[in-house]
Amino acid sequence: MLLVALFAISSITIPILIASSIALFLGIIIVIVTKIFAVPVDERLEGIKAILPGANCGACGFSGCEGYAQSMADGDPNTGKCPVGGTEVAEELSLFLGVATPVFIPKVAHVHCQGTVDHTNKRFDYRGTLGCAAAHSLFSGPNSCSYGCLGFGDCEVACPYGAIYMANGIAHVDSDKCTACGLCVITCPKKLIEVIPKHLNAYTVKCKNKWPGAQTRKNCSVGCIGCQKCVKACEFGAITMDGPLAVINQSKCTQCGACELVCPTHAIANGLMLGLDKQGTPSHTGIVSISQ
Amino acid sequence: MREMLIILFSAILVDNFVLSRFLGICPFLGVSKNVKTAMGMSMAVIIVMVIASALTWPVQAYLLSPLNLGYLQTGVFIVIIAALVQIIETFLKKAIPSLYKALGIYLPLITTNCAVLGVTILNVDQNYTFFESVFNAAGAGLGFMLALFLFSGVRSKVDRADIPKFMKGLPITLVSAGLVSISFFGFKGLIEKLFS
Repeated sequence: MLLVALFAISSITIPILIASSIALFLGIIIVIVTKIFAVPVDERLEGIKAILPGANCGACGFSGCEGYAQSMADGDPNTGKCPVGGTEVAEELSLFLGVATPVFIPKVAHVHCQGTVDHTNKRFDYRGTLGCAAAHSLFSGPNSCSYGCLGFGDCEVACPYGAIYMANGIAHVDSDKCTACGLCVITCPKKLIEVIPKHLNAYTVKCKNKWPGAQTRKNCSVGCIGCQKCVKACEFGAITMDGPLAVINQSKCTQCGACELVCPTHAIANGLMLGLDKQGTPSHTGIVSISQ
Repeated sequence: MREMLIILFSAILVDNFVLSRFLGICPFLGVSKNVKTAMGMSMAVIIVMVIASALTWPVQAYLLSPLNLGYLQTGVFIVIIAALVQIIETFLKKAIPSLYKALGIYLPLITTNCAVLGVTILNVDQNYTFFESVFNAAGAGLGFMLALFLFSGVRSKVDRADIPKFMKGLPITLVSAGLVSISFFGFKGLIEKLFS
């Protein structure tokens, strides 16, 4: 009787002992390892992460909010890198870290193309998958200009803020809704979208084509033909030629408008888009609207 | 050496953990959206699988088997794997921060990955020796990597395709996973021919 009882006890206790001793042993090892390989964690990191919007868009240049928070915790005094949070977050971060608030230049995404259906033609009838990436992979898409906006709206889908809308076959950015996160910049297969400083009256070359002038004229009536008139007209040296394409350096541009006046094809235009007005046409903030 | 190679290659191709044994389906569907994340996850799985096999084999052989405590296997192995992942994470954070960053959140995710538990239990079921177990684990990890690599390629194609609305998302992913799995049936019988 006693033997049976002893056997019953041992058949329960031995497994319990073994299992719990393994667990205890591993627990002790974890504690030791954590002590040996302890990494000092900056307690400010959590606070910074709480202030950042947590969109993880990567517009600050880091892999996500975590990376930017880490960099600030390590002593980076620039709190103005988050375009999603804007001035508000920059001020809050500066207050939290005790550094000076940087001058925050808001940015906005901008589509460098105005080749609407009125200005371009179709080379062929595309009946494939509806999407810029798919259309681009088939002979650069059906548009007469192989550098221009395809208008299938991959950027519209990619935008988490609903700031991009399609009108007349090209993409427009609603500058009020845009947070300059840069997701559309990555998505566009034509690399037409750039993030520029948000001057409502900004002058931009709304074209990205690299063809010689004659070929551009044949395929789009508002393309940059590389005549260099704007380069000569600009008093501030803000316009340079990238091959046959004029490029405006936004940090040098003073919005004087001299370039727009001399541009023979109206490829240079001013103003950012605001959104669709009540008639469903894109509304424009600049002085001159897109020339017809 | 020949036996080791047979074990290694059959774990990669014939008895692929994801596509033939259907273990580790969760990360297979979860992190196969692009090649970069798939590779990060696979590297973490390979490391953990090999070390977990090397640790659980002696526990089974010298502790559980002699005491006839085979039924404790699942619980004890899970505890060992969880502790192991924790230790590796702490170690990497200090010693190799770049690798820790690259593996990122995938390392803690492996704690409850059935593929890792699967490989340790299969080592015992097949009566493998210590080195055979390690080779089996390495093969299983490489097989996992191969499956994720192939499938992330398939998915990037599927993303561009014009899919009917009711099939979008998980349904088309599961169907394409099934087709990739069928393709791996082509490897059945490969090992016998290769090493005969």
